[in-house]
Amino acid sequence: MTNLFFPEAWVFIAMVGTFLLTVFLLRQPVALALLAGSIMGAAVAGLGFPLRHLVEGAFVYLDTILIIACAMLFMRGIQASGLLETVAHHIARSLRNWPTVLLVAMMVFAMTAGMATGSSTASVLTTGAIAAQVFVTMGLDKARVGALIAIAGLLGMIAPPVNIPVMIIGGGVDMPYEGFYLPLLVLTVPTAVLAALWIGWRGIRRLGEGSNLPPSVHREYGLRLYFPLLLFVGVVVAERAFPTGFPSLGLPIAFLAAYAISPLCGRLFNPVKTAVQAIHDALPILGILVGVGTFIQVMTLTGARGMIVEAFAGLPRSLFYGSIAVSMPLFGAVSAFGSASILGVPFLLNLLGAGVIVTASSLSLFASLGDLVPPTALAGLFAAQVVGEKNYLRILARCGVPALLIAGVAVASLVGAPTLERVLTRSPALSRGLFLSGLGLGLTLLVLGLEWLKRALTRKEEP
Amino acid sequence: MRARPWVTGAGFLALVAVVVTISAFTFLDMHRDRPIYAGPGVTRVGKLSAYFPSLAGTGLDTDVYYLEGEAPGATVLVLGGTHPNEPGGFLAAVVLVENAVVQRGRLIVIPRANRSGFTCTDPGEGQPQVYHIPTPGGPREFTFGSRATNPVHQWPDPVVYVNRLGQQLTGSEVRNLNRSYPGSPTGYPTERLGHAIMELIRIEKPALSIDLHEASPEYPVINAIVAHPRALELAVKAAMFLELEGMDIAVEMSPATLRGLSHREWGDHTDTLALLLEAPNPSQGRLRGRTDTHLVLTGQDKFYTQAGTRNRLYVKFTERGWPLEERVGRHLQTLKVLIETYSAANRATPVVVAGFPGLVELRKNGIGAYLRPPS
Ligand SMILES: [Zn+2]
Repeated sequence: MTNLFFPEAWVFIAMVGTFLLTVFLLRQPVALALLAGSIMGAAVAGLGFPLRHLVEGAFVYLDTILIIACAMLFMRGIQASGLLETVAHHIARSLRNWPTVLLVAMMVFAMTAGMATGSSTASVLTTGAIAAQVFVTMGLDKARVGALIAIAGLLGMIAPPVNIPVMIIGGGVDMPYEGFYLPLLVLTVPTAVLAALWIGWRGIRRLGEGSNLPPSVHREYGLRLYFPLLLFVGVVVAERAFPTGFPSLGLPIAFLAAYAISPLCGRLFNPVKTAVQAIHDALPILGILVGVGTFIQVMTLTGARGMIVEAFAGLPRSLFYGSIAVSMPLFGAVSAFGSASILGVPFLLNLLGAGVIVTASSLSLFASLGDLVPPTALAGLFAAQVVGEKNYLRILARCGVPALLIAGVAVASLVGAPTLERVLTRSPALSRGLFLSGLGLGLTLLVLGLEWLKRALTRKEEP
Repeated sequence: MRARPWVTGAGFLALVAVVVTISAFTFLDMHRDRPIYAGPGVTRVGKLSAYFPSLAGTGLDTDVYYLEGEAPGATVLVLGGTHPNEPGGFLAAVVLVENAVVQRGRLIVIPRANRSGFTCTDPGEGQPQVYHIPTPGGPREFTFGSRATNPVHQWPDPVVYVNRLGQQLTGSEVRNLNRSYPGSPTGYPTERLGHAIMELIRIEKPALSIDLHEASPEYPVINAIVAHPRALELAVKAAMFLELEGMDIAVEMSPATLRGLSHREWGDHTDTLALLLEAPNPSQGRLRGRTDTHLVLTGQDKFYTQAGTRNRLYVKFTERGWPLEERVGRHLQTLKVLIETYSAANRATPVVVAGFPGLVELRKNGIGAYLRPPS
């Protein structure tokens, strides 16, 4: 039993050890350290220098890398054209007297791109970037704003209609992606609202008369200004709505097309210079994804991946839920999708039975937490990019309690999956109606109550 | 002293160029079809594009082997290599092409159903690019492929793949042949491939169509015949005979909610009796340890053995593992019994195939005994 995990454990220790040494002692970039770890792992396993595997591993996250690079361009483009600030200006102005409402509304708005694309990065860099402008205007500091949009991106990725981790887990056990919308809504939207209130409520204030709003360039450019955003939304929606009629362009092309027209639709900027800057900013994370790919490939090749899966999936039942809660977010640091595929599928296979839809949804929630785990921490890293925070660990610190909340929701739904699923599926239409109206009513009451409390408190402070 | 940025940059670019050039040879070499030799029973070799011309000249066109008997009878279609990372299904089809002799009726075999998938491996999976089966005349080489169509032939993936019948799947499944049925003449390349196979079934009218697969040992449907409802009776009968012979095999009915799979759509959209066979393949599983050709050939893995002793798998797993000859043997034995069971029930249009080995022969002699020596 004890030697079951050897020699694979030595390989893994050598890989992680080399990685840490290269980062902290030799002060090399994380991407190169991951590559060094991979090379060392293969050598320790007696496989020499497997050039083909190192190259192939670099391609594991090619699609993700393209999406991230192009999303960065898009975000910088609409920032430079003035679109970002203008949209934020309008939203903030219309709700400037209702800060709590604005906070919650912007949180849900920040999630929408994640819901549509299934990517937390796309969410943080698009609707998250717009929401961030509003949050800053409301008086929140960089770390809180970053935390808000990071959590929104993460929950947006899990919220329906597109949840890639669930699709990946479902694909591994032949479970169709059906009946997930309601459970996913129940797991994400209330959680997002609570997280928003936890992070932002104490810091927000009512907006003054126009002075502190982000500038609007709506008057100068009119409707033309919104074309890049409309183009992006149009391509994504058309691809989803007409899967058979509309060519599948993929997110990178959608982002690039929107970026290409940005300079002509608002404030003029140099698209080449902005693009170079955007890629320069994204380069560390793109490099990390290349490095992580080789790391995974060598782990799989040498058996270190199997050892880790066996170590977690093979735990006795009493420790099983705990091992899910620990391993899925940790592995999610590499990639939430990878965590769903490599750990989510064996976990679900061990949990097959009643409540399988809710169970898969909870597992996807665990996987999503990986987007907050360093060194990749995609959601935190890009939130830092958006708000201009140099140290993304400060954002992650702000995400601590909401992350625990998400983990709590995930554990609760995992344990109570059979019951929850029975309630949610007894009469789908009825429960959906009840859920939506209950959510609406609860939200309104909560927000109005907090709003009232806030006003009462601030009035007392005023002399 | 620090090097100037452009010096470092140029150095890195040069290094990348060297690495790419060197490694390109091994990736490009996978595009070479490893030969499959037409055996004594093969009367004709055609192309799948004969049934759907726009497939011609693409990386997805593939060879179709016809084994025609002297006497009339029904037709049986066998697909291997729908998923090229499942070598047992592929090799069973190869053994059939190189050995089977049809006396009555006709056998149509497509060993590399998704030929494109044989030209690459799945990044991140660390699987070998090639493996060798020893034969008396020297080793035969085959590529261990990817589960899906090579991105070189179809890319990019959509965010969500919506099958023609409305099934929503994660985007990468758009390159999975066994989610593409009934296919589309104008859709994604893999959907066109699915359409071409449907066209073959519509034109050649096989009575029986069998898709050979493998699955990871932790997957619930394994060592099984998955049958379309119309083929269920045949599958149950065949499984009974197999049990009597001492080979345990489960029968699963094709679920109606899972669209795009061969055992569902072949049966729903044509008159054929659609069946899919699964065997256990640890080299595609998530619990596997070191991933190399030894694992591919012997199917031995200590982590799976451990999981097997804890009853966490859907198949018995001991130190013996699941050797490739055992898996190929199971497929061929099941095929043999399915054809016999069908013929017994359809005396007017029987299919009689001889010359190919079953489970006992493969266990005894290995796969290499039934492969032509390389030439
Ligand atoms: Zn398969």
